[in-house]
Amino acid sequence: MSNLSDSSLAILGQEVPLGRVDKALKELWGADAARTRASLMNIAVYSEDPDSLERNTQLLGEITREHSCRGLLILALPDQTPPQARAWITAHCQLYGGHKSVCSEQISFVLAGGKADQVRNIVFAHLDSDLPLVFCWQGDLTENFDERLYSVIDMLFVDSSTWCKPETDFDRLQFAISQNTARFRVYDLSWLRSHSLRTALATCFQSKLALEQLPLLRRMEITHASGHRVAALLMVAWVAVRLKCTLDICQKGLCLITAEGQRIEVLVTDNGAGDPLQGIFMHSDAANISVTRVSGSQYAKARVEIGDHLSEEMLPADLGSDGELIGSQLARLGGQSLYFQMVPMLRGML
Amino acid sequence: MPDLENPFQETLIQRHRAESCTVVIFGATGDLTHRKLIPALYNLAVDGDLPPQFKVVGFARRDKPDDVFRAELEESNKKNSRQGHDAALWSSFGQSIHYHQSEFQDVEGYKSLKTLLDSFDKERGAPANRLFYLASAPEFFDQIMLKLRESGLNEGAGDKFSRVVCEKPFGKDLKTAQHLNEVVSQTFHEKDTYRIDHYLGKETAQNIMVLRFANLMFEPLWNSRYIDHVEITCSENLGMEGGRGGYYDTAGALRDMVQNHLFQLLSLVAMEPPTGLSADAVRDEKVKVIRSLRRWRGAKEVAENVIRAQYTAGSVDGVDRVGYRQEDRVNPQSNTESYVALRLYVDTWRWQGVPFYIRMGKQLPKKATEISIHFKNPPQIPFATETMNGTSNSLVIRIQPDEGISMGMLSKTPGQSLLLQSVKMDFRYSSSFGKASPEAYERLLLDAMSGDATLFARRDEVENAWTFIDEIEHAWHNEGEQPPMCEYPAGSWGPKEADELLHADGRAWRRL
Ligand SMILES: NC(=O)c1ccc[n+]([C@@H]2O[C@H](COP(=O)([O-])OP(=O)(O)OC[C@H]3O[C@@H](n4cnc5c(N)ncnc54)[C@H](OP(=O)(O)O)[C@@H]3O)[C@@H](O)[C@H]2O)c1
Repeated sequence: MSNLSDSSLAILGQEVPLGRVDKALKELWGADAARTRASLMNIAVYSEDPDSLERNTQLLGEITREHSCRGLLILALPDQTPPQARAWITAHCQLYGGHKSVCSEQISFVLAGGKADQVRNIVFAHLDSDLPLVFCWQGDLTENFDERLYSVIDMLFVDSSTWCKPETDFDRLQFAISQNTARFRVYDLSWLRSHSLRTALATCFQSKLALEQLPLLRRMEITHASGHRVAALLMVAWVAVRLKCTLDICQKGLCLITAEGQRIEVLVTDNGAGDPLQGIFMHSDAANISVTRVSGSQYAKARVEIGDHLSEEMLPADLGSDGELIGSQLARLGGQSLYFQMVPMLRGML
Repeated sequence: MPDLENPFQETLIQRHRAESCTVVIFGATGDLTHRKLIPALYNLAVDGDLPPQFKVVGFARRDKPDDVFRAELEESNKKNSRQGHDAALWSSFGQSIHYHQSEFQDVEGYKSLKTLLDSFDKERGAPANRLFYLASAPEFFDQIMLKLRESGLNEGAGDKFSRVVCEKPFGKDLKTAQHLNEVVSQTFHEKDTYRIDHYLGKETAQNIMVLRFANLMFEPLWNSRYIDHVEITCSENLGMEGGRGGYYDTAGALRDMVQNHLFQLLSLVAMEPPTGLSADAVRDEKVKVIRSLRRWRGAKEVAENVIRAQYTAGSVDGVDRVGYRQEDRVNPQSNTESYVALRLYVDTWRWQGVPFYIRMGKQLPKKATEISIHFKNPPQIPFATETMNGTSNSLVIRIQPDEGISMGMLSKTPGQSLLLQSVKMDFRYSSSFGKASPEAYERLLLDAMSGDATLFARRDEVENAWTFIDEIEHAWHNEGEQPPMCEYPAGSWGPKEADELLHADGRAWRRL
């Protein structure tokens, strides 16, 4: 654990011996006169990145703002020797109207030499009983993502934009889902990141006028920030699936071909900095339909221009941080079937 | 794409989104519009739940341009919006607001309104749904309905709907309610008539059905075999502030709160499981509860079961309060009750012999609305009963404030002796769900726009409730020997006669 400085560990709270975690938590809440601990679920955040502790403590803090839970923060360093496991406890309390309202506990583990066995055992031993397990797996789905572990997960969050080996990761994910023992639903942050943009685009096509333009589309552009190409490609895949198009990758780039044989040129543009997904633009000869993020605000502008007709609407934009995305998905629940319809097409574009 | 269906629709389905709509508010310069309706619509915009190409038209008497109207609403939105005020969003939302000056009585004003609405549809490229919201004093309902009919606005444009939302009070007795219903039904179909009861829009009221019908552990006990009695309390720590006395003195606690809000809560607690979740399936069951209320014969029986009272001078929250009859705009000889307590029986198989005690009062010690279910004692308790402080279990559903559910049960106290004590298991919405609940009006406006009438009162519910209430009012005001008007000091929990109502049955009001 040499490369983890004391200051990076300090954020985790009070260090406790591994066997005393439950006792220490009891003491922690015993000292709380407000008795405001509440829990609706277990949320585990797993990472193998040594620099992730601070970021993930903030992530849990953000999620607990709306979802009281027992948080497990796990940093596994499978290749580090000698093997050693350490634990810390702390609490996230949220203030509402000036008084302490929701308090959630966080137990953090740093597992040097942490292989699948150890990770699994740490998770099993520290779950709050009867409550569902939400697991946020950061980075590639490594060997530690094993069957005994994922068979207890109820909701799995991954982020395919951060995968170094997406082919292997998608294979692992699809294999896991096909197992009888797997009951979890998968949520890919790259897909969730476009939720509001997709909703806004759907809103643009609520009118007959706009719908008539759909078969006449010739060009589509999606703009994104660096590191979010997968999220943009998932948008392309979504449009393709919804319009029943096939994909054509030619020298000029990406193209969607409708059932009627119409070609829609697709441009996916990396704008460098900014919000993960910044805009979607659709053009026919007569229409320009777009949804663009209004910079510096929580809203996106949905714009439909067809000949003389112009309508504009402000709609909620996608949430910026991973914590907000996960939090809103926990509130919304919802299925995963739509996402898995996109995956084969996405894999064709990777 | 011959059928012209939105292929991206799937994304919208999860969102409870209504189709394109124009909302017309009659009485739009009033308090309700400023404090509740516009902030509710704005907050729907914050969440992206407004229909596309949405418009609001404010209809009132004073002349003012759109931008003045918008600026006034913006100011009040800053004060009243649940999720704060965002200037960028308002600049877009505000553009959807328009003002239309007219007298309610002037048919020309409706014709020009129609022209305005048609011009919006033209802008949209297709007709949109229309929702007429009556936020005016009820004496104008007749006129507004008549003029909507005369101008043809009650008919939807194309295949779109035209709907009406009626604010409370819906009548002041059965006769006036029937008259209003007649007027409304000559103008709109019942399926397009939405009678607001904002209690039904509250999260905890909606949760009553979930609690009962989605959890197996309650429903098997939800009957006269296990339940001793039910209490519904609505207490307010205010009196007639802000000139409310003028209206209140013509209504009273029974008409203002019991006929609508508290009977709705009673229905949700006592109803049978609905056969489905359609608006009518739910309302069919609710209305049966009101129809099953045991009727009283004459003033004597009313007096035995209903206590009415007025507050006298006292103190609430450390502030001295005058008595009801000394309040601003209240008749000094007023015979209107500021407090009422009732003992009701729902004469069904399920509830035979279980009293439902309902109380509502002004100038009580705190603001709270809650339902408490009190279970019977176990048939035999194998412990020394004298060591117990209260032996029965209770389930409390807090409607407001501090929405939540708590359960009271017995537990052994630590120590050598076998002492039992009642302990409380508490679920608070605000500590379990960080997300704030939407305001009742947000939910109700969205439901009205998307055609879900479950949380609105149906004609027969309203009329049956008035039939019952009228009998009490009749005994109070029309017969020879009237039941007494009791008194309670402001800041107390009501008149001693209300305590005696329960003492006579061997019970006492729950301590709030
Ligand atoms: N306020 C609340 O919190 C609340 C809560 C529940 C239910 N309600 C119910 O909602 C309704 C409205 O309440 P409110 O407090 O908003 O009333 P309010 O403040 O008195 O407003 C009355 C509105 O009606 C308009 N008006 C009056 N006479 C008119 C006429 N002849 N022609 C055209 N417009 C006319 C006024 O327009 P001008 O300003 O141009 O005169 C004003 O916009 C009532 O039925 C009330 O019982 C209110």
